Amino acid sequence: MTLTRRRFLTGAAALGATALGTTACTSPTTANPGKITLWYSTNGLSEKVLGEAVRRFPAQNLTPSKVSGELNRRLLAALSGEAYLPDITMLGDGISTYFSATDRFADLTALGARQDESRYLPWKWQAGRSPDGFQLGFPIDTGPAALYYRHDLFAEAGLPSEPDAVAAALSSWDDYFEFAKRVKEKLPGRYLITDTKMVFTYSLAQEKQKYLDRQNRYLDDQSQVRRAWDRAVKAFQLGLTAGYAGSAAGEGVDRRAAWTNGKEVAFVNASWITGNLKQSAPGTSGQWHVCQAPGGPGNQGGSFLAITKYCPDPQGAYDVVKWLMSPENQASTYLELGLFPSSPAVYSDPKVLAPEEFFGGQATIGVFGEIAEKVQPVYFSPWDITISDTYTDELTNVEAAGKDPDQAWQDARTAVERLLRRQGVLA
Amino acid sequence: MNRRWKYLPQYLAIAPFFVLFAVFGVYPVVYSLWLSLQRWNGVSEMKFVGLENFAFLLTDTAFWDAIGNTLIIWVMSTIPMLVLSMLVALGLNSSVRHKDFLRVAYFLPNVTSIVAMSLVFGSFFSNEFGVLNWFLGLIGVDPVQWLNDPWAIRVAISLMIIWRWTGYNAIILLAGLQALPQDVYEAAKLDGAGPVQTFFRVTLPLLRPVILFSVVMSAIGGLQIFTESQILLGDRGGPEGAGMTMVLYFYNTAFADNDFGYGAAIAWGIFVVVVLFSILNWRLVQRPARVNGGGK
Repeated sequence: MTLTRRRFLTGAAALGATALGTTACTSPTTANPGKITLWYSTNGLSEKVLGEAVRRFPAQNLTPSKVSGELNRRLLAALSGEAYLPDITMLGDGISTYFSATDRFADLTALGARQDESRYLPWKWQAGRSPDGFQLGFPIDTGPAALYYRHDLFAEAGLPSEPDAVAAALSSWDDYFEFAKRVKEKLPGRYLITDTKMVFTYSLAQEKQKYLDRQNRYLDDQSQVRRAWDRAVKAFQLGLTAGYAGSAAGEGVDRRAAWTNGKEVAFVNASWITGNLKQSAPGTSGQWHVCQAPGGPGNQGGSFLAITKYCPDPQGAYDVVKWLMSPENQASTYLELGLFPSSPAVYSDPKVLAPEEFFGGQATIGVFGEIAEKVQPVYFSPWDITISDTYTDELTNVEAAGKDPDQAWQDARTAVERLLRRQGVLA
Repeated sequence: MNRRWKYLPQYLAIAPFFVLFAVFGVYPVVYSLWLSLQRWNGVSEMKFVGLENFAFLLTDTAFWDAIGNTLIIWVMSTIPMLVLSMLVALGLNSSVRHKDFLRVAYFLPNVTSIVAMSLVFGSFFSNEFGVLNWFLGLIGVDPVQWLNDPWAIRVAISLMIIWRWTGYNAIILLAGLQALPQDVYEAAKLDGAGPVQTFFRVTLPLLRPVILFSVVMSAIGGLQIFTESQILLGDRGGPEGAGMTMVLYFYNTAFADNDFGYGAAIAWGIFVVVVLFSILNWRLVQRPARVNGGGK
């Protein structure tokens, strides 16, 4: 049989039609039917611990799957298509977005989460629960915020340099600004405040409330926001902010350089920046300490594990989650990836209390643990990230582009209210 | 019956395109129109809000600013880029050595990985420790706040676009140059035209269709400026939103803020801008070429 063009085309078309026919309408609901698929983001969970879990739970057929890029985006896509869904998934601090769709998830309380609650930080546990009491998230890590500082440079400026002394001298933001002024006089060209965003973010993280209440109603009283804003503007007007461009999440080149060359003498940040700091400024090893942040304890960031309702074996999945997040495994994950444990039992685990060379022999978990235990429960609404971005954008305009602070405040308020009206939060 | 089935193989042969186009082209377009009438965070129930999203869009200063930014950056990048690529094309067209190597070298930025680009340009434009400011310091110019000053941001983005697309357009112009008939040049030479005169009187008019093609292509690219801004400044466009382009605003609203209904409305806003722009472009292209001394 010779291959004529007609035969070739018919054959190709037939093949194509068959291929289309067989794949249509057969996409499975979960990514690996018959197995328990767990989605996690890069460095979101320890691969060592996950590997052990696979061996430990043969019945569950656990299949960890690392999602590169935005896990949240992929999860939303899978949820709207109801196909290729994970059985267990990581959720970030935007977990409240999913509180409006709890029918797509398993309530962990029904799987026995009550008994495990007491082993975790109460505020963190509560952050994983929807306003109507649906336990959606199981705590992974937290982000207690501390003051990171160069003790050698503090000593050089003739100021207190031991963690307890520094913490005692810097209990409020105003103290911190005074202190920053003195360091600046003694060591010109050096900064203790990265940018206005740092002051705003961590000042607000110390408050009892943010923007919305647990019923997603806009708070009448936004004075805590104004307080954080005024503090940030004050720091800028006193000339205390370095204002590195692109310093968001510490990714900027200038900020990394400032860590290395000692221009950034101190800064307030959640614990997750430690890895970044170590990697960017290995030459400053031994010269850093951490202590309580000015203004009080606060948290920024942290993740959860959730089980989708499509999981055929929720109880089995829950056993895996519970084991993955056991204090022992949180301790080894902390040592491996620096994810700060949500289980207070870890803070006194001798394994993690070893002196750290990078921090001049300090065991930082003691400091962070103390902060984590004092964090107040606060509601993080689905729009919190957008709202705080709106405020910090305007602060950047003040800091980098010379915008009038009052105008910037007005513009931020208008933008936030417009957003909330569009979202139906405000009438 | 017989007639209808007679052409079946032909229809089947062209079907793959139409099937794929329906799935990946038509359906998303129609669905996004439907989506623009909803309030939806991507996971809970959609709520029908009618034209509310469009009402917000019309009064959204951020969107109008984004249109302005996009056009400014487009002009700031396209004009120098076309001049540069013309020069490069002329250079490559004349008898230089290592022609093939140079062609590849000029084209390389266009196929460079965007992640690599982000790392390099981040360091390049960095305010205090950037290569560019160091270089400016060498020639006695004060450092520029590349990533803080709104106009410097636009220049930085334009430079990235120019870097990426000059070689690409040079190759297109080069192809155009090589297709030009040699006899016109000989005639020009006989008439005593110098190289500059030849370029403006012979090369440029003959190259008009190719240049228009380049302009149209860079208009298409220019209205979609996204990657460069996002790499350099993140999802929110930097200080004063100077790098916030239309597509970046759409992306940020839909995929960072999970506001899919409004995101779809922005996408349709972009569509309207693109249509207006296409009409403008079309009228420019349709205008008959002016001939020396020629009236109507």
